[in-house]
Amino acid sequence: MSKDYNTLRHIVRLPHSYAAGPVWTRFYEGLKEEKIYGTRCDKCSKIYVPARPFCPGCHENLDDWVEVSQEGEVVSWAYSRESEFFGMQMKPPFIIALIRLDDTDSNLLHFVGGKALDRLEIKKGQRVKAVWNEEKKGHMMDIKYFEPID
Amino acid sequence: MGRPVAIIGVGQTRHGRRFDVSYPELVKEAVDALFDTTGIGPDDVDGVVSGTMPSMMEGVALTHFYFADVLRSVGKPIMKTETCGSTGASLAITGYYWVASGMADLVLVVGSEKMNEGDSQATMTTVLEPFYQRYFIAGAPGIFSMQSQEWSVRFGIPEDKIRAAATRLTIDHHSDAFDNPYAHIKKKLTEEEVNNARIITYPVRLWDVCPNSDGACAVLFASEDKVKQMGRKPAWIRGVGYSGEEYWFGDSDKVVWQSAIQASREAYRMAGVTNPIEDLDVAEVYNPFTFQELLFYECFGFCDFGKACDETLKGTFARDGKLPCDPSGGTLCTNPIGATGLIRVSEAALQVTGQAGDHQIPGAKLAFAHAMGGVDQYNAVLILGSEL
Amino acid sequence: MAYRVGIVDVAMTPGWESKENFLDQVFHTTKEVLDKAGIRREDVGTVISASSDVFHGGMSCANSYYWDAGGAFLKNGSRQDGESLFAFIYAVMRIMSGSFDTALVLGVCKGSENPDDDMVTYFYTDPFYQRQIGLNETIAAALQMREYMERYGVTEEQCAKVVVKNLKNALRNPYAHVKKKVEVEDVLESEPVLDPLKKMECAPKSEGIIAMLLAREDVAKKLTPKPVWFKGYGSSMDTFYLGDRDLLDTQLKNAARMAYNMAGIEDPMKDLDVIEMCEPYAFQELLWYEGLGLCDKGKGGEMIDSARTGMEGDTPVNPSGGVLATNPYVSRGLYRLAEAFLQVRGEAGQRQVDKKVNTALAHSTHGFAGQCHAVAIIGS
Repeated sequence: MSKDYNTLRHIVRLPHSYAAGPVWTRFYEGLKEEKIYGTRCDKCSKIYVPARPFCPGCHENLDDWVEVSQEGEVVSWAYSRESEFFGMQMKPPFIIALIRLDDTDSNLLHFVGGKALDRLEIKKGQRVKAVWNEEKKGHMMDIKYFEPID
Repeated sequence: MGRPVAIIGVGQTRHGRRFDVSYPELVKEAVDALFDTTGIGPDDVDGVVSGTMPSMMEGVALTHFYFADVLRSVGKPIMKTETCGSTGASLAITGYYWVASGMADLVLVVGSEKMNEGDSQATMTTVLEPFYQRYFIAGAPGIFSMQSQEWSVRFGIPEDKIRAAATRLTIDHHSDAFDNPYAHIKKKLTEEEVNNARIITYPVRLWDVCPNSDGACAVLFASEDKVKQMGRKPAWIRGVGYSGEEYWFGDSDKVVWQSAIQASREAYRMAGVTNPIEDLDVAEVYNPFTFQELLFYECFGFCDFGKACDETLKGTFARDGKLPCDPSGGTLCTNPIGATGLIRVSEAALQVTGQAGDHQIPGAKLAFAHAMGGVDQYNAVLILGSEL
Repeated sequence: MAYRVGIVDVAMTPGWESKENFLDQVFHTTKEVLDKAGIRREDVGTVISASSDVFHGGMSCANSYYWDAGGAFLKNGSRQDGESLFAFIYAVMRIMSGSFDTALVLGVCKGSENPDDDMVTYFYTDPFYQRQIGLNETIAAALQMREYMERYGVTEEQCAKVVVKNLKNALRNPYAHVKKKVEVEDVLESEPVLDPLKKMECAPKSEGIIAMLLAREDVAKKLTPKPVWFKGYGSSMDTFYLGDRDLLDTQLKNAARMAYNMAGIEDPMKDLDVIEMCEPYAFQELLWYEGLGLCDKGKGGEMIDSARTGMEGDTPVNPSGGVLATNPYVSRGLYRLAEAFLQVRGEAGQRQVDKKVNTALAHSTHGFAGQCHAVAIIGS
């Protein structure tokens, strides 16, 4: 009986233009120059990557900009062989990871690619380095992925 | 009734087009302003209430996640209140009940909106379901025009009189906004400019309509003990009322408007207000449209039905009138929706504590704050007093 | 505490897709709980609902749509966005404050009308960083699971055991969405979603319209011979960016501490008779054991091995089958509380735990890797 009822398909599309403010704007400019920037908190000395306007913990304004290392260690990772995810530019197969860049205090969410995809045997602490896309758009995906260093 | 509750601090951003900061930074501006002016620290806060307009307006869903840090809510209980346009007032009411229940002594309440990042009128149409109403009601002005037309016919108010009263209101509010450092649109308007302005949806013209603003507002609610302990001048919550009606726009009377009448009467009863025009010293009426503000005066019992235009033209609701309405310039000059109702409450608190600066109504002791939401569906009223 | 608050009754839809119109479902469920309690709509004090615009069939200001269907016509009410235990506690606050003697709590989420949950959770991200990578709740969970396995040696088998236990319990629950008997091997061999997460370890997308009536002590006693009392509540928020957090040190500990203090719980394993937990990803049940203090840090895997949280264990967890069986995103917290309520009442039918239930805990979480947790404790 209930199977006889209709369903109504409807798609909602809405445009947004998000204000990046000074910090994201400067961070993206850095990406265009193949530089990764963080900001350091004067109070707790932590360096956050990507750069932040304020320290989440101390709530201080952050204006101490530091160019951080493009190498670091994998903290956690997950592998997709076939699953695609809505909104994600990266298509499978891919490895998404939390990466602690050297001398920073937060984990960067990005992809691990290259040789890593052949092996799929990443251990916590695997060393990686940034690989850049040729074309830069001022976007998180200007970094193509991070690649294992042996 | 529950424990006495007071507002002991407020913070606002400069409202306007704020492409200079990202959304969390905007919220931070209001929260920081509150902590800076009160000298109270976030560690003292027991809980946080957060709210904005719907996710589709923000382009970010469940914004309490995104704002967790700027709200200083990490490690604390949080509530996420949202009731469409009345969100700001519903946020204040959530803060009130949290403290009144005894479950918290100090609650930070924050409302915000970055209207200019999205498409507000397109979002508004998604409030309407896709089976029926979405195809007829385009944005807010159309709805308010219908309401206004119905009102003029019902009470036989001549069109030119409504126009004259609406013109008076918008000239006054835009002029009052110069005395409010946070207001968005400040302008010295002439009658000619207002009367000949572009028609949005007849009879609503450009200067009858609020702007799209970016802004945030933070308010601190405290128990009686905390009021004493913090030594801050309190604005006591004396009355709270809220009412919502049917979803379908055509189902109910939007002129003798039940939810507006009921919300105000509920708050009056609790506050012991028997004659609002005599008892109240100042009102912050949610006025996204001039015509609707006039209608609200009648529903709230500030004057008889059909008489709002006459009273407005007599100056009853002007800054120096018997019951000054929206001395801040109101929603008509500043409308970051998710914050707007909370700004009304915050302005009422500033008035009864004598901290409203250049737009202070001298000696204000009892203030009225209001917000409206949905497709003319919700009304919320709070009464704030300098005495408990 | 000002006024004591009791749960009078509850009504809810089953979790599977219904072709019934959304408003009709809200209306019928609301009516059912009022009829059960023998109270007229006019006599209800206030209506607090939970819904979310993004889990609401593409409609904004969700509560506008169902306001009158949910019995709130010309009533003082409000709405909480995203988490239904927030709506519960807000209704409790309103009664405790003395302003209302009864409150109707609604959880509203018609999963069948929504896009995939992860298309929605993707919009929890900030537009500048995490959205450009493509983060959503499942990805965050997979990263959390990997860390859990690597840091504490929790095994894939132990995570799979949660699915086996909960789906087995769900077989006896007439409201459960997913009903099938599975073994550890079935889970391990199910399609990989995002390694280490497998499909059967991820919750489905379910229907869930639920209505619960609360009342002040004196009124509750008139409305039902068996009210179940509100005892305690806690909730806690974590920092926003996933990479700023220790994903294994969650805010659940903090939320639980608040609720335990309020309810006078000293030893949760001893003092709690049954627990309903929100585990949208199987391994999270193990991690939440730790957060709730049921076992030490890193010992969640051993806990499931010991069977202490099984139906015959000393503190059964998720006798309803939990979120792995039924996942109406926004309503799921209230579904946990409804099950806890039925267990305390001894009215959970075939899935009633085999002991006297005096005190029960309901937990809910939303956000990446448990950014926000809420815990409610109720008792006889």
